[in-house]
Amino acid sequence: MEIIEEKQGGINIFKLNGRLDSNTSQGFEQKLFQAISDGSKSLVVDFKDLDYISSAGLRVILKATKAIKREDGRIMLCSMQDYVKEVFEIAGFDSFLPIVATMDDAIKSF
Amino acid sequence: MATKEYSFELKSHLDELDQLCQNLETFGKKFGLSKKLIFEINLALDELFTNIISYGFKDNQEHTIKVTLRPQNDELCLCIEDDGKPFNPIDFETPNVSCSVEECKIGGLGIHIMKKLMDEVCYERCGDKNVLNLKKKIETDDND
Repeated sequence: MEIIEEKQGGINIFKLNGRLDSNTSQGFEQKLFQAISDGSKSLVVDFKDLDYISSAGLRVILKATKAIKREDGRIMLCSMQDYVKEVFEIAGFDSFLPIVATMDDAIKSF
Repeated sequence: MATKEYSFELKSHLDELDQLCQNLETFGKKFGLSKKLIFEINLALDELFTNIISYGFKDNQEHTIKVTLRPQNDELCLCIEDDGKPFNPIDFETPNVSCSVEECKIGGLGIHIMKKLMDEVCYERCGDKNVLNLKKKIETDDND
């Protein structure tokens, strides 16, 4: 999986490309937690080019959400393909994670 | 009609998840299955495979996990066999999936997802093997 990191204003954006599973979730976790420990309070994860997610990927998103909440920050998830979004729904994560349609919506929310 | 069975073996390492994905893509193309269906069976098998590797083996030796796929009328039959310790996912407690972010726990989520994606789950312990038979309905209204 490829992770492209960008910064727009005070927002850290992570664009995921490929597959987020037990093999790739650790690398993503490190990058997210690096941003949090560097003081970022606004994170956006762009799922547009993500083809696959398993519970290992959900685990990282959940962990990061909890961590950034403790710092009074927020994470936004955007541009999910339907079947990726379905995994969040099955897990019940859509009830407490802010999932929005586009990157614009995510950025405007901060 | 000829038997349309497709099977492959995975070694007990997490990086075999790529093999799982490649095999399922080949299988999907061969039998003209939708991208959504391949995604869902990949996810169900990924969760089982990851679970077997993480908790199934007491030793550090290499084990083999066998996967068999068989389209049958409007269903897809999947079978996953391993020689790990007995594990029946049907008995596995479903996590609370309607909780807040603070309460939400990740344990057991993979098995919950697998069960939700499959239409039928049947477990058997045969000798020293776990044999899990799964069924998934093939929807024909997909357009990809």
